[in-house]
Amino acid sequence: MRYSLLAGGKRVRPVLCLAACELVGGQEPMAMPSACAVEMIHTMSLMHDDLPCMDNDDLRRGKPTNHKVFGEDVAVLAGDALLAFAFEYIAVATVGVTPARIVRAIGELAKSIGSEGLVAGQVVDINSEGLSDVGLEQLEFIHVHKTAALLEGSVVLGAILGGGSTEEVEKLRNFARYIGLLFQVVDDILDVTKSSQELGKTAGKDLVADKVTYPKLMGIEKSREFAEKLNKDAQDQLSGFDPEKAAPLIALANYIAYRQN
Amino acid sequence: MRYSVLAKGAKRAPPVMCVAACELFGGNRLAAFPTACALEMVHAASLIHDDLPYMDDDPSRRGQPSNHTPAMPSSLSAFATLSPKHQSDLVPETRILRVIAEIARAVGSTGMAAGQFLDLEGGPNSVDFVQEKKFGEMGECSAVCGGILAGAGDDEIQRLRRYGRAVGVLYQVVDEVLEEKMKTKEGDDEKKKKGKSYVGLYGVEKALEVAEDLRAKAKGELDGFQKYGESVVPLYSFVDYAVDRGFSVGASS
Repeated sequence: MRYSLLAGGKRVRPVLCLAACELVGGQEPMAMPSACAVEMIHTMSLMHDDLPCMDNDDLRRGKPTNHKVFGEDVAVLAGDALLAFAFEYIAVATVGVTPARIVRAIGELAKSIGSEGLVAGQVVDINSEGLSDVGLEQLEFIHVHKTAALLEGSVVLGAILGGGSTEEVEKLRNFARYIGLLFQVVDDILDVTKSSQELGKTAGKDLVADKVTYPKLMGIEKSREFAEKLNKDAQDQLSGFDPEKAAPLIALANYIAYRQN
Repeated sequence: MRYSVLAKGAKRAPPVMCVAACELFGGNRLAAFPTACALEMVHAASLIHDDLPYMDDDPSRRGQPSNHTPAMPSSLSAFATLSPKHQSDLVPETRILRVIAEIARAVGSTGMAAGQFLDLEGGPNSVDFVQEKKFGEMGECSAVCGGILAGAGDDEIQRLRRYGRAVGVLYQVVDEVLEEKMKTKEGDDEKKKKGKSYVGLYGVEKALEVAEDLRAKAKGELDGFQKYGESVVPLYSFVDYAVDRGFSVGASS
């Protein structure tokens, strides 16, 4: 569990969670357990994603993947245990927030990773590997669920725990969806333009697995334009908030758009 | 998900135990239903993972081929059901949070995951630990969740904890004895099973003794609930059902 959780990583989700909490007027400690929890869930999803029965990856965050070091059985169990601990940690360690809000937050998190969220994206993704007729719409479904769902969960969790209004929560939800899709479009571009060493994970694997990607469907140039538009749409959602408090989220959107690995 | 959760031949022991424990303390049955369903899903998810090729490698479960689809959908979806929205008007949120923490603890790195890990990697001396974790945790968690939802006191929760754990292990020991009996009846070749079991380690005789001990232990815990009168009967019946299955070979599921 430690090996994968503490292997580094960009920690985008925890940062999003904390920033969203502060944006709506909450204090950082309110969302800290949830911020840790979303990183645990993200890590466990990567561990299971890397398994031979899924994407079969050898390299993650610049290190051998969990099952390469500890075996497949342990990788599955450690992932399960991390997922369980994430929920336990939010339920037990969150302070300064009413139980009603914590329960609501846990419900949101569970929904974002369940069969209508992350898992839905995974299943459609696996089922569409090797298919030639996957269109933009289906690709978007995969990414909105596979990548954006947990980002959305992270932001919404922070906003709920920080005491955001329904309207604020929904705006942040949309923001997260845009940057989630943005994240994946950029990921697809990097996969074909960078080396394994620069990325810290196996490069060019989308081509090898014959996966449908944005560069494949619309070309590199068009993909870059699409990324620009998503970044702008995302930042528009933040226009109604205190600009100073929104700055970290805007910086994060830009980071996702212009990152090199 | 449906394939495994709704498989025929499931005993539904975790949800029934949860509801029974909730009613013991005068809790509303409806208040326990969402948690009861979640427990059954968590239970199903743990079975799916245990059946994977690099775990216990079981080709069949509940009389149909085991799931063996990618690992993640099962584990994640189980938690999705914890979404407790329809509970909050029947149960205070603080109790819901305790239930969530309890289920997470039971399946986590100090619970069922630890049992499965040692089952695969541990030495032969770990059989007690493995059985308690792999099979006792689910029973313990089911009973305790019912108690929490109904607002049971700390002492009572502890009692449910020991009771549920004993019943969980008891089921497993009796299962093993039954399996062994079926084998000798049909004259099957001795099949080398992965994993650690009482029967494999000590033989049928000793396993039956363990079963008797567990039965006495579980009932001993229930004797503390006398003041609740008849509503404790369902919890007694769990103990007897677990053992009495042993006398009619073939009714093992």
